[in-house]
Amino acid sequence: MLRSRIIPCLLIRRNGLVKTVGFGDGKYVGDPINAVRIFNEKRVDELTVFDIDATVEGREPNYSVIRNLAAECRMPLSYGGGITTAEQAAKIISLGVEKITISAAAIARPELISEVAEAVGSQSTAVVLDVKKGGLLRGGTHLVTHNATRRTKLDPVEFTRIADSHGAGEIVVNSVDRDGQMGGYDLDLAGEIRRATTLPMTVLGGAGNIGHMEALIDRVGVVGAAAGSLFVFKGPYKAVLISYARPANASPR
Amino acid sequence: MREYRICSNCVMDTTDSRITFDVDGLCDHCRTFRDDVLPNWHPDERGEAELIRIADKIRADGKNRGFDCILGMSGGFDSSYMLHIAVTQMKLRPLVFHVDGGWNTRVAVQNIENVVEKLGLDLFTEVIDWEEMKDLQLAFFKSGVSHIDIPQDHAFIATLYRFAAKHNIKYILNGFNYSTECVRNPLEWIYHGSDMRQFWDIQKKFGTRSLKNYPISSIWYHKLYLRYIRRIEMVRPLNYVPYVKEEARRVMADLYGWEAYPQKHFESRFTRFYEGYWLPTRFGYDTRRVQFSSLILTNQMTREDALKELEKPAIPVDQVPHEIEFVATKLGITPEELITYRDMPIKSYQDYKSQEKLFEIGGKFLHLIGKERTLKR
Amino acid sequence: MISILDYGSGNINAIATLVKLSNISYEIVTHPGQLASATKILLPGVGAFDRTMSTFRASGMANAVRMRLEDRSVACLGICVGMHVLANSSEEGSLEGMGLVPGQVRRFHPEDIPESPKVPHMGWNTIEVHKPHPLLAGIDMAQGFYFLHSYHYECDSADDVIATARHGRDFDAVVGTDRVFGVQFHPEKSHDNGIRLVRNFVDL
Repeated sequence: MLRSRIIPCLLIRRNGLVKTVGFGDGKYVGDPINAVRIFNEKRVDELTVFDIDATVEGREPNYSVIRNLAAECRMPLSYGGGITTAEQAAKIISLGVEKITISAAAIARPELISEVAEAVGSQSTAVVLDVKKGGLLRGGTHLVTHNATRRTKLDPVEFTRIADSHGAGEIVVNSVDRDGQMGGYDLDLAGEIRRATTLPMTVLGGAGNIGHMEALIDRVGVVGAAAGSLFVFKGPYKAVLISYARPANASPR
Repeated sequence: MREYRICSNCVMDTTDSRITFDVDGLCDHCRTFRDDVLPNWHPDERGEAELIRIADKIRADGKNRGFDCILGMSGGFDSSYMLHIAVTQMKLRPLVFHVDGGWNTRVAVQNIENVVEKLGLDLFTEVIDWEEMKDLQLAFFKSGVSHIDIPQDHAFIATLYRFAAKHNIKYILNGFNYSTECVRNPLEWIYHGSDMRQFWDIQKKFGTRSLKNYPISSIWYHKLYLRYIRRIEMVRPLNYVPYVKEEARRVMADLYGWEAYPQKHFESRFTRFYEGYWLPTRFGYDTRRVQFSSLILTNQMTREDALKELEKPAIPVDQVPHEIEFVATKLGITPEELITYRDMPIKSYQDYKSQEKLFEIGGKFLHLIGKERTLKR
Repeated sequence: MISILDYGSGNINAIATLVKLSNISYEIVTHPGQLASATKILLPGVGAFDRTMSTFRASGMANAVRMRLEDRSVACLGICVGMHVLANSSEEGSLEGMGLVPGQVRRFHPEDIPESPKVPHMGWNTIEVHKPHPLLAGIDMAQGFYFLHSYHYECDSADDVIATARHGRDFDAVVGTDRVFGVQFHPEKSHDNGIRLVRNFVDL
């Protein structure tokens, strides 16, 4: 039986790992290579890495960092951050990465999704939706880009359909409001996206314990359940200590 | 070159160039143990009574504080077992503190998680800025000296002391123990980590960036200011209880699901590489000699078993290329560059500025007042 | 010794890392001449069928593998799209496959499957063994393997099916004649099971 994927998500800023809250300034949690090494040895299902500075700084992905990470990774690896062309995507795949994730550039120009899918295959083309609820006056839920500093008018469900029709192979839905809060996923949002597409989906933002992952799987079925804080922090003082566990409904039987 | 000779009792030999032997072929490590350590070491009822007395005092002093002491948890066996003793026997409420120098192994983080969780404690961590750490470690590689574990070691010590001072904690629990560490690494193998004169000399000569976040201490700060002005006391609980490695290991495995390391200090990937490969290959120093000799002196290992074990390399030969590649990648250099550091001319701590004399005087003083029994020379 | 084919179809770093860390001796084969002494040939593949097939042919590697396989001591293992090129054809493209393990590669059509599985098939899945085979010796069946694909193999003969997996429908996950094998999943991303499988292949 196909199992849900339990996915640690690592954020890279200035060559180091950070963990953010609400996409804000991150807490430094160490060096990526050693973290990847430990996740390797913990036999994690998949690993996702985002370079959270690349798009904001308007630069290309840092290929040497990606090469080093990929060389260390013995599990499937996704990379996102700063990808704006199909050539960049192909180059990253050639470094040993399984999946490319695109967001801001795909929102700006959805044709990029088809171009990337053409170059590396649909199965390796994931689209990330950073979703933020509007304030009291605005209302609604919209996609944001550039570490949530730019708000678009796009509705996540609507854009999911656009991504799907352009040949995306996976939808990654990330709640900005839940980021780093560890209070649980936005299950309603996950449910809405789930109904909008037949693509595999990964949900990120809010997991604080394994029960939250279990609840997500109960709600939407087989899914990618991704988490940052949950797998790097421990206890009330947010001690940095890498851990990994799967809920019962995503474990080998 | 001095003729090869090995102690008749332990397995220390002339790879420790300052070793001396008496007429019976007994080395100075063994003599120190016999004359200075053994008469002052009581890991029995007497020790336990003393430990209870110390624990009562720590608890009383810490009554109105969030924590009554601090304990640095490396993930290694000694610190983990000490935490077990501190909580279950001494009934203390320690602030458990881990410094992440960037080289933790999976087993180390798992062990920390298990012990802390099962004892119902909360963990604090400090993550050392890896870009600075990397540059500092490379500086030590380039200097050619043997004590390239100083950047890691110093960061652990300095962070712990700063944390103790910041949280106004009066007692530091230290895992040093006669049972497994009564023979110490010779100075020429592993030089003092808090000799700041040496530290800065090497950093200035070979480092390429300034240290903004890396934690700095010095003997003036932690051995004098903190100890005598701030009155922070150091306690070594493992010296008051029977501490037999094999038994302790069983206890830890049963109670906490403790997973053993193949060798002491192998909780850090760097130390594993350093003690298991770098020191023996580049310098001919095998820290297992020191560890096994300690165990021989405390009747936990036979000399024959130690000699047999020493014939095998600490890291299996087929793993060495992977280790080199990992350490090089981690340090951001090629394996070829790392190998040039391995094969460059050997330097000693005496080739750089140092406070050796100061440490010598301090060491003699501590020995005189009975605070230090073992032989570090 | 295992010979990993690098014919310009995507990445071979991951598989090279896996064999290196497992202390399996290996060589990277970048031109057909190097195949002369190869006995265990590993055929990775990433990307679309036609592109993979055309680079495989154009590099001269396809022919070299076929000729090398005439030697009865030589075995070959294709991974993912490297498995698909062993078939006769693929719905993903129009080029002819190698036909080494007779069969077709078909797309998952979720609309035709009652369970309407999500496509691509992505993640860890278990396999069901149809024909006990040394290739699968010692595999942790509960753990399974990592899959990432939208197209799947369909053998012409049930005799060539070693194991299947289920994603809405059963499909052929491990196929093989006596010396030519293909696996749909990614051993290089399947932790211990992947290492075990590659080792089993080397030891065949």
